[in-house]
Amino acid sequence: MAAPAFHLRLPATIESVSELLDALEAYAEVAGISPGVAARLGLVAEEVAANVAMHAKGATFFELRVTPGQQALDLVIQDDGPEYDPLSRAAPDTEAVLEERDVGGLGVHLVKKLTRDATYRREAGMNRLLCSLDLTV
Amino acid sequence: MEITETTEGGKAVAILDGRLDTATAALTETRLLAMLDKGGIIADLSHVRYVSSAGLRVLLKAAKHAKATGASFAVVGLQPPVREVFEISGFDKIIRAFASRTEAASA
Repeated sequence: MAAPAFHLRLPATIESVSELLDALEAYAEVAGISPGVAARLGLVAEEVAANVAMHAKGATFFELRVTPGQQALDLVIQDDGPEYDPLSRAAPDTEAVLEERDVGGLGVHLVKKLTRDATYRREAGMNRLLCSLDLTV
Repeated sequence: MEITETTEGGKAVAILDGRLDTATAALTETRLLAMLDKGGIIADLSHVRYVSSAGLRVLLKAAKHAKATGASFAVVGLQPPVREVFEISGFDKIIRAFASRTEAASA
Protein backbone atom coordinates (compact mmCIF):
# COMPACT_ATOMS: atom_id res chain seq x y z
CA MET A 1 0.00 0.00 0.00
CA ALA A 2 1.45 3.36 -0.96
CA ALA A 3 2.10 5.86 1.81
CA PRO A 4 -0.50 8.61 1.98
CA ALA A 5 0.14 12.11 0.63
CA PHE A 6 0.07 15.25 2.77
CA HIS A 7 -1.50 18.58 1.93
CA LEU A 8 -1.96 21.59 4.17
CA ARG A 9 -2.57 25.24 3.50
CA LEU A 10 -2.26 27.72 6.36
CA PRO A 11 -2.34 31.48 6.92
CA ALA A 12 1.12 32.99 6.56
CA THR A 13 1.71 33.57 10.27
CA ILE A 14 4.37 32.45 12.73
CA GLU A 15 1.75 30.49 14.67
CA SER A 16 1.03 28.49 11.53
CA VAL A 17 4.63 27.32 11.42
CA SER A 18 4.16 25.37 14.66
CA GLU A 19 0.84 24.06 13.41
CA LEU A 20 2.53 22.88 10.22
CA LEU A 21 5.30 21.13 12.14
CA ASP A 22 2.81 19.37 14.43
CA ALA A 23 0.78 18.22 11.43
CA LEU A 24 3.93 16.93 9.72
CA GLU A 25 4.95 14.98 12.85
CA ALA A 26 1.56 13.29 12.89
CA TYR A 27 1.78 12.63 9.16
CA ALA A 28 5.24 11.09 9.46
CA GLU A 29 3.93 8.58 12.00
CA VAL A 30 0.93 7.63 9.91
CA ALA A 31 3.02 7.35 6.75
CA GLY A 32 5.71 5.30 8.49
CA ILE A 33 8.44 7.80 7.70
CA SER A 34 11.67 7.26 9.64
CA PRO A 35 12.58 9.78 12.38
CA GLY A 36 15.58 11.02 10.40
CA VAL A 37 13.56 11.74 7.26
CA ALA A 38 10.73 13.20 9.35
CA ALA A 39 13.18 15.62 10.98
CA ARG A 40 14.47 16.72 7.57
CA LEU A 41 10.93 17.16 6.31
CA GLY A 42 10.19 19.39 9.29
CA LEU A 43 13.34 21.42 8.78
CA VAL A 44 12.63 22.12 5.12
CA ALA A 45 8.99 22.97 5.77
CA GLU A 46 9.86 25.19 8.73
CA GLU A 47 12.51 27.10 6.87
CA VAL A 48 10.31 28.01 3.93
CA ALA A 49 7.17 28.65 5.99
CA ALA A 50 8.98 30.77 8.58
CA ASN A 51 10.59 32.86 5.83
CA VAL A 52 7.18 33.53 4.29
CA ALA A 53 5.62 34.38 7.65
CA MET A 54 8.41 36.74 8.66
CA HIS A 55 9.51 38.34 5.38
CA ALA A 56 6.94 37.95 2.62
CA LYS A 57 5.07 41.26 2.65
CA GLY A 58 1.42 40.73 1.83
CA ALA A 59 1.59 36.92 1.69
CA THR A 60 -1.66 35.46 2.96
CA PHE A 61 -0.87 31.75 2.95
CA PHE A 62 1.68 29.03 2.52
CA GLU A 63 0.85 25.57 1.31
CA LEU A 64 2.74 22.32 1.44
CA ARG A 65 2.14 19.17 -0.57
CA VAL A 66 4.10 15.99 0.12
CA THR A 67 3.80 13.16 -2.37
CA PRO A 68 5.57 9.91 -1.48
CA GLY A 69 7.38 8.15 -4.33
CA GLN A 70 9.31 4.91 -4.33
CA GLN A 71 12.58 6.35 -3.13
CA ALA A 72 11.75 9.86 -2.10
CA LEU A 73 9.16 12.32 -0.89
CA ASP A 74 8.34 15.02 -3.42
CA LEU A 75 7.63 18.38 -1.85
CA VAL A 76 5.96 21.45 -3.28
CA ILE A 77 5.78 24.51 -1.04
CA GLN A 78 4.08 27.62 -2.33
CA ASP A 79 3.06 31.05 -1.10
CA ASP A 80 1.38 34.11 -2.56
CA GLY A 81 3.98 36.61 -1.41
CA PRO A 82 6.03 38.94 -3.62
CA GLU A 83 8.40 37.25 -6.03
CA TYR A 84 11.25 35.75 -4.04
CA ASP A 85 13.60 32.88 -4.76
CA PRO A 86 14.83 31.51 -1.43
CA LEU A 87 17.49 29.47 -3.22
CA SER A 88 19.20 32.62 -4.46
CA ARG A 89 20.42 33.40 -0.95
CA ALA A 90 24.20 33.16 -0.71
CA ALA A 91 25.59 30.17 1.13
CA PRO A 92 27.09 30.78 4.55
CA ASP A 93 30.86 30.44 4.86
CA THR A 94 31.05 27.17 6.77
CA GLU A 95 34.83 27.49 7.02
CA ALA A 96 34.85 30.87 8.72
CA VAL A 97 36.01 31.30 12.28
CA LEU A 98 33.42 31.93 14.98
CA GLU A 99 33.73 35.71 15.00
CA GLU A 100 33.31 35.88 11.22
CA ARG A 101 30.31 33.55 11.00
CA ASP A 102 27.14 35.28 9.91
CA VAL A 103 23.77 34.21 11.31
CA GLY A 104 22.13 34.47 7.89
CA GLY A 105 21.70 31.92 5.12
CA LEU A 106 21.69 28.85 7.35
CA GLY A 107 18.15 27.77 6.60
CA VAL A 108 18.50 27.80 2.85
CA HIS A 109 21.85 26.05 3.20
CA LEU A 110 20.11 23.23 5.09
CA VAL A 111 17.37 23.01 2.46
CA LYS A 112 19.94 22.71 -0.32
CA LYS A 113 22.03 20.15 1.54
CA LEU A 114 19.20 17.98 2.84
CA THR A 115 17.13 17.81 -0.34
CA ARG A 116 17.63 16.90 -3.97
CA ASP A 117 16.69 18.85 -7.06
CA ALA A 118 15.60 21.95 -5.18
CA THR A 119 14.03 24.23 -7.77
CA TYR A 120 12.27 27.56 -7.58
CA ARG A 121 9.53 28.70 -9.94
CA ARG A 122 7.32 31.73 -10.08
CA GLU A 123 3.96 30.57 -11.43
CA ALA A 124 0.43 31.94 -11.34
CA GLY A 125 1.43 34.74 -8.99
CA MET A 126 3.00 32.32 -6.51
CA ASN A 127 6.45 31.39 -5.33
CA ARG A 128 6.91 27.64 -5.65
CA LEU A 129 9.73 25.61 -4.21
CA LEU A 130 10.02 22.02 -5.39
CA CYS A 131 12.42 19.48 -3.92
CA SER A 132 12.77 15.83 -3.00
CA LEU A 133 13.75 14.11 0.22
CA ASP A 134 15.35 10.69 -0.06
CA LEU A 135 13.52 8.05 1.92
CA THR A 136 16.41 5.63 1.86
CA VAL A 137 18.88 7.43 4.09
CA MET B 1 11.05 23.86 25.12
CA GLU B 2 11.91 23.66 28.79
CA ILE B 3 15.22 24.76 30.17
CA THR B 4 16.45 23.54 33.54
CA GLU B 5 19.56 24.92 35.18
CA THR B 6 21.97 22.75 37.11
CA THR B 7 25.71 22.42 37.61
CA GLU B 8 28.39 19.93 36.69
CA GLY B 9 31.87 20.11 38.12
CA GLY B 10 31.33 23.72 39.11
CA LYS B 11 30.11 24.73 35.65
CA ALA B 12 26.59 25.96 34.92
CA VAL B 13 24.55 23.57 32.80
CA ALA B 14 21.45 24.42 30.79
CA ILE B 15 19.41 21.27 30.15
CA LEU B 16 17.24 21.86 27.09
CA ASP B 17 14.20 19.65 26.56
CA GLY B 18 12.05 19.92 23.43
CA ARG B 19 12.29 21.34 19.92
CA LEU B 20 14.66 24.21 19.23
CA ASP B 21 12.85 25.87 16.34
CA THR B 22 11.27 29.14 15.19
CA ALA B 23 8.74 29.06 18.04
CA THR B 24 11.23 28.40 20.84
CA ALA B 25 14.32 30.21 19.56
CA ALA B 26 13.70 33.57 21.24
CA LEU B 27 13.11 32.24 24.74
CA THR B 28 16.06 29.89 24.45
CA GLU B 29 18.32 32.71 23.33
CA THR B 30 17.21 34.91 26.22
CA ARG B 31 17.92 32.18 28.77
CA LEU B 32 21.28 31.15 27.38
CA LEU B 33 22.57 34.69 27.06
CA ALA B 34 21.42 35.51 30.59
CA MET B 35 23.25 32.46 31.92
CA LEU B 36 26.35 33.36 29.91
CA ASP B 37 26.46 36.78 31.49
CA LYS B 38 27.21 35.02 34.75
CA GLY B 39 29.89 32.75 33.35
CA GLY B 40 30.59 29.75 31.17
CA ILE B 41 27.85 27.24 30.42
CA ILE B 42 27.35 23.76 29.06
CA ALA B 43 24.22 23.36 26.94
CA ASP B 44 22.93 19.81 27.32
CA LEU B 45 21.02 18.88 24.17
CA SER B 46 20.49 15.18 24.87
CA HIS B 47 16.73 15.76 25.11
CA VAL B 48 16.56 17.81 21.93
CA ARG B 49 15.65 15.84 18.82
CA TYR B 50 15.11 18.72 16.46
CA VAL B 51 17.09 21.88 15.79
CA SER B 52 16.16 24.04 12.82
CA SER B 53 18.08 26.98 11.38
CA ALA B 54 16.36 29.21 13.95
CA GLY B 55 17.85 27.00 16.65
CA LEU B 56 21.26 26.99 15.02
CA ARG B 57 21.23 30.79 15.04
CA VAL B 58 20.63 30.73 18.79
CA LEU B 59 23.57 28.40 19.35
CA LEU B 60 25.76 30.56 17.14
CA LYS B 61 24.76 33.70 19.02
CA ALA B 62 25.48 31.99 22.33
CA ALA B 63 28.90 30.89 21.12
CA LYS B 64 29.71 34.37 19.83
CA HIS B 65 28.51 36.01 23.04
CA ALA B 66 30.61 33.62 25.09
CA LYS B 67 33.69 34.32 22.98
CA ALA B 68 33.20 38.05 23.25
CA THR B 69 32.86 37.97 27.03
CA GLY B 70 35.53 35.34 27.65
CA ALA B 71 33.05 32.77 28.98
CA SER B 72 33.16 29.15 27.88
CA PHE B 73 30.40 27.55 25.84
CA ALA B 74 29.99 23.93 24.85
CA VAL B 75 27.18 21.60 23.83
CA VAL B 76 26.75 17.99 24.88
CA GLY B 77 24.56 15.09 23.88
CA LEU B 78 23.96 15.94 20.22
CA GLN B 79 21.35 13.50 18.90
CA PRO B 80 21.85 12.17 15.34
CA PRO B 81 19.47 14.55 13.51
CA VAL B 82 20.93 17.46 15.48
CA ARG B 83 24.51 16.41 14.84
CA GLU B 84 23.67 16.22 11.16
CA VAL B 85 22.55 19.84 10.88
CA PHE B 86 25.39 20.90 13.16
CA GLU B 87 27.94 19.40 10.81
CA ILE B 88 26.24 20.52 7.60
CA SER B 89 26.40 24.05 8.93
CA GLY B 90 30.06 23.73 9.87
CA PHE B 91 29.26 24.30 13.52
CA ASP B 92 31.44 21.39 14.55
CA LYS B 93 34.38 23.61 13.65
CA ILE B 94 33.36 26.52 15.79
CA ILE B 95 31.36 25.16 18.73
CA ARG B 96 32.84 22.54 21.04
CA ALA B 97 30.70 19.43 21.37
CA PHE B 98 31.21 16.65 23.91
CA ALA B 99 29.51 13.34 24.54
CA SER B 100 28.74 14.07 28.18
CA ARG B 101 28.55 16.81 30.76
CA THR B 102 31.50 15.34 32.69
CA GLU B 103 33.70 15.51 29.62
CA ALA B 104 32.61 19.06 28.94
CA ALA B 105 33.14 20.15 32.54
CA SER B 106 36.70 18.85 32.64
CA ALA B 107 37.70 20.19 29.23
